[in-house]
Amino acid sequence: MTTISLDNLDNIKYKTEIRQKTAKPLLWIGLMSIVMFFAGLTSALIVSKSNSIWIKLEVPSMFFVSTILILFSSLTYQLSLSFTKNNQLKFATITTILTFVLGISFTVTQFYAWQQLYHSGVFWAGEQSNPSGSYFYALTALHLLHLFAGLISLLVVVTKSILKKYSPTTILGIQLSLTYWHFLTALWVYLFFFLKFIA
Amino acid sequence: MSAHQHPHEEQDFLFKYVFSQDHKMISKQFLITGFIMGFIGLSMSTLFRLQLGFPGESFWIIDFLLGSWAENGVMLPDKYLALVTMHGTIMVFFLLTAGLSGTFSNLLIPLQIGARDMASGFLNMLSYWFFFVSSVIMLISLGVEGGAASAGWTIYPPLSALPQAIPGSGLGMTLWLVAMAIFIASSLLGSLNYIVTILNLRTKGMTMTRLPLTIWSFLITAIVGVISFPVLLAAALLLVFDRSFGTSFYLSDIYIGGQVLEHAGGSPILFEHLFWFLGHPEVYIVLLPALGITSEIVSTMSRKPIFGYRAMITSMLAIGFLSAIVWGHHMFVTGMNPFLGAVFTFTTLLIAIPSAVKVFNYITTLWKGNIKFSPAMLFSVGLVSTFISGGLTGLILGDSTLDINVHDTYFVVGHFHIVMGLSGIFGMIAGVYHWFPKIFGRMLNNNLGNVHFWITIVSAYGIFFPMHFLGLAGVPRRYYTNSEFPLFDNLFDINTLITWFAILAFFGQLIFFFNFVYSALRGPKAPQNPWKGNSLEWTTGVKHIHGNWPGEIPTVYRWPYDYSKLNDNGDYVTGEDFIPQTVPLADGEKDGGEH
Amino acid sequence: MIALVAIVAVLLVIATAVQILKIAELRATESGKEIYEISAKQSKAQALLLMVFLVAYFGFFAWQVWKWGGLMLPVSASEHGVGVDELMNITLWFIIPVFIITHIFLFWFSYKYSFSETRKALFFSHSNKLEMFWTIIPSIALTVLILVGLSNWNKIMTPVASEQEHILIEVYGQQFSWTARYAGKDGKLGRASVEYIEGVNALGIDISDENAKDDKIVKGEFHLPKGVPVQFVFRSQDVMHSAYMPHFRAQMNVVPGLKTQFNFIPTITSEEMKKITNNENFEYILLCNKICGAAHYNMQMDIVVESKEDFEKWLAEQKEFSAE
Ligand code: HEM
Ligand SMILES: [Cu+2]
Ligand SMILES: [Cu+2]
Repeated sequence: MTTISLDNLDNIKYKTEIRQKTAKPLLWIGLMSIVMFFAGLTSALIVSKSNSIWIKLEVPSMFFVSTILILFSSLTYQLSLSFTKNNQLKFATITTILTFVLGISFTVTQFYAWQQLYHSGVFWAGEQSNPSGSYFYALTALHLLHLFAGLISLLVVVTKSILKKYSPTTILGIQLSLTYWHFLTALWVYLFFFLKFIA
Repeated sequence: MSAHQHPHEEQDFLFKYVFSQDHKMISKQFLITGFIMGFIGLSMSTLFRLQLGFPGESFWIIDFLLGSWAENGVMLPDKYLALVTMHGTIMVFFLLTAGLSGTFSNLLIPLQIGARDMASGFLNMLSYWFFFVSSVIMLISLGVEGGAASAGWTIYPPLSALPQAIPGSGLGMTLWLVAMAIFIASSLLGSLNYIVTILNLRTKGMTMTRLPLTIWSFLITAIVGVISFPVLLAAALLLVFDRSFGTSFYLSDIYIGGQVLEHAGGSPILFEHLFWFLGHPEVYIVLLPALGITSEIVSTMSRKPIFGYRAMITSMLAIGFLSAIVWGHHMFVTGMNPFLGAVFTFTTLLIAIPSAVKVFNYITTLWKGNIKFSPAMLFSVGLVSTFISGGLTGLILGDSTLDINVHDTYFVVGHFHIVMGLSGIFGMIAGVYHWFPKIFGRMLNNNLGNVHFWITIVSAYGIFFPMHFLGLAGVPRRYYTNSEFPLFDNLFDINTLITWFAILAFFGQLIFFFNFVYSALRGPKAPQNPWKGNSLEWTTGVKHIHGNWPGEIPTVYRWPYDYSKLNDNGDYVTGEDFIPQTVPLADGEKDGGEH
Repeated sequence: MIALVAIVAVLLVIATAVQILKIAELRATESGKEIYEISAKQSKAQALLLMVFLVAYFGFFAWQVWKWGGLMLPVSASEHGVGVDELMNITLWFIIPVFIITHIFLFWFSYKYSFSETRKALFFSHSNKLEMFWTIIPSIALTVLILVGLSNWNKIMTPVASEQEHILIEVYGQQFSWTARYAGKDGKLGRASVEYIEGVNALGIDISDENAKDDKIVKGEFHLPKGVPVQFVFRSQDVMHSAYMPHFRAQMNVVPGLKTQFNFIPTITSEEMKKITNNENFEYILLCNKICGAAHYNMQMDIVVESKEDFEKWLAEQKEFSAE
């Protein structure tokens, strides 16, 4: 359905048109594969749980804090998009930076949570470890790994935002990053409830 | 055309041939890398067939090629397992997943749907380079201390987790896991692109029911890949944790090398579940593109519409869906809950129905056709034959009761080589013969192609059909030799026969490689539409240009299977026996895909 | 030197092949055609070869059955195995005709409708009736196979009820040998775990467990009584193995950290089987059927099936665990 001829194949307009059309579907299908990745891991946990030596763990209190932090960050990021759409670019920049800070705080609380776990005798590996503990660390760490990608995308958005690269109509980058960030939030909330009630 | 030639023609070598983002070049890269890997996998099988056919006999070539993996011209038992493992891995993943899908999805998706290129040329390029790096690491693992991974292509722990259990589970296995992780990334990047391109970048008029079956098969393959490969990644990651950090996801209660391991609470069966959740769909990731490619070829060369276009699509969708819920048939004898076993038997035998429909549709397409036997067509007929021969024995393996006695025997080796290995290979080779003019702008030599086909099909059945008999006699797979059991003594002839056919198969492929290289460099120049095909790729010029069509992308008005369509007077509508998709429908003419 | 000669020879072969191809191309162009065009004659030749192949393929199949049919596993030596073999036969009687008929159609059509300049192909793109027909027929056939299969499956996988008379045997796998442990008089196997493995106690039996005292451990070969249900329990020391007893149509994986089970009733003694197979040296065998390491190909144990009396005599001669 593209009507652009070869002569301007490499021009910006053609490239943006393709990008507009395909960037979001690419992201969504990518997210689907991440969903399958975590679906695999959490079903693995359910299978492992039936082992007799499985120990049920309490969710460390820090996870509550991190849950609240990441929920907030999703909110601020959403706000930032609205601000951009309304051409309130300054507010947009501020909320994006706030999101980034919240993301970092989330990361820090995760580390605290692991410390809590460690001090309560839950180990990642080794003789005194239990698979339940290993799953706890593995799932949360793998989520954090995906969050790092989100943080990098946020960093890009923050920079571009400061450089005033966005306008109410050029928001694809923010939308992509935002979708991913919401996804990370949803994934975390899922993992949180999963660890709390199922594991 | 030259009026449209673009500065891209002068772009430097590096970006044109190496870091190209053009789908046609990436397709070539996949094809050539895949074939190199395939040749290595093939050579490995010939070597270990020598050991099986002539156990304990000394071979100069084994000494020469295997070095420290052999002693006095006889390969060592654990290195036999390393060869089998690498053979399986390379054939399934590197040749028939990346090599097959990577080549033809990349070549045909933009050309057949009418797009300038993939949705993201950059991701596409990354996909190839991940595949390349993964191939290199996999090959490097052949040379490391302890040897390559040796736990079978299914790498079941604990064997794959413990270097104490087999030397190949040391560095070799680590590299295997690294290579596969990169491979999975490559495959996911590719699949993302294929799906989005097909869904979003079709040219005007190209509705979903006007897509060639090739495109449908690539689409379903990519979706299956996106759903199942991440689970393999999860499985591999947990294995990495167990191996390298001492967690216990898969390991428990193990005493090895004189000591009790610390691992407690894990289960190897968990790994099997995760592995086969990918592993079975993987079979269809190999098979579906081959089916799509041959559907197209059978229709074109028979000068007839593919019979039951919609039924073909529905069958592929059904196969794609069912493939995700049958994995347990690989685990009937792992002590799984018998009820689950019953469920998996049921779902597995269900898959036979859409498969049968496909076979009948192929055969009906031939009926009253006007069939030109190009090498591509011969291989397509060969594929239908292997798909039937191998599919039918699947009914035995899919039945939990029968599987008890043939599980993990040579019966299985015979079955999956025929239904997946041969069908995949035949489909891929058919595709190469058919689209070679599109890939290299030159024609392959038909006579060599015919000889190649006959050697291949004869030796293929010669190798794999007798394996069913070995299996029914109780011979397990992954055995270094059968000579330790008096029970198997009188089966030696079978093994020797198989090995002779394997040697024949190897030399048969050399003919193909010669034809391939010669024709790519020196073959006769191809006309634009050598097979008189309807689909859009034949409307592009022989010479590759960036963006595929010099002017506007053509608009599509009909499905791609209007072959030998007659008007009311009994004449061909266009004067020739084919109507390209770009020809508008006549007044009152119905489009073929729309019923 | 040999390598050099080999390389030169290969190069020569390639050069010759290139020349031949070139000449063939030239000759085709001289006669006003392109070499890649496929004439009706060439197409027909390939179609004819396909027919020859069909006959050869069937011939090869028949030849194999004739030549090797006798080398397959003999009649099942277990009760449930007879059912398995029957199901196998039913399935084969379904599969082989389908195999033959579809192949005949495939190759016959290929031959019959090979390219001709004069004929027009039939534009025939779909037929709901036909498609329904060949969706429904396989569905019915498969339903039958599934029902017969699953009724067998459920019977086979149900463990022997504990109150029923039976023999309890633990089969223990390790790289690269098998050990069998009989439950002894009390009919119970003593507790075992890798923790207790030490010296001769390779099975890791808990010495303090009362149930363990009368357990009997055998290596090399183990015996089974004819006509008595045998309940197997499987345990592994190190990696996965699979206990495969092909003559009894029995197989179960042996998994570290997990106890798996299988049971069957032996119905033919070793002596009887020697007569049936006409083979003096026939032995029942237990072999490993899951890749487990370098010597996987040689991990085996003989099985002897004998009358109940002989079996009891043999068992009485075996030492109890506490005596070791
Ligand atoms: C002439 C070509 C080939 C020959 C002679 C050959 C031979 C064999 C043999 C004899 C085995 C069993 C070895 C054993 O269990 O000890 C084997 C295993 C295997 N082959 Fe092939 N093969 C060929 C081509 C292929 C192709 C095209 C595929 C693609 C699917 C393939 C995939 C596999 C796989 C997945 C295994 C299992 C490896 C394992 O047990 O881990 N092979 N091959
Ligand atoms: Cu499967
Ligand atoms: Cu073993």
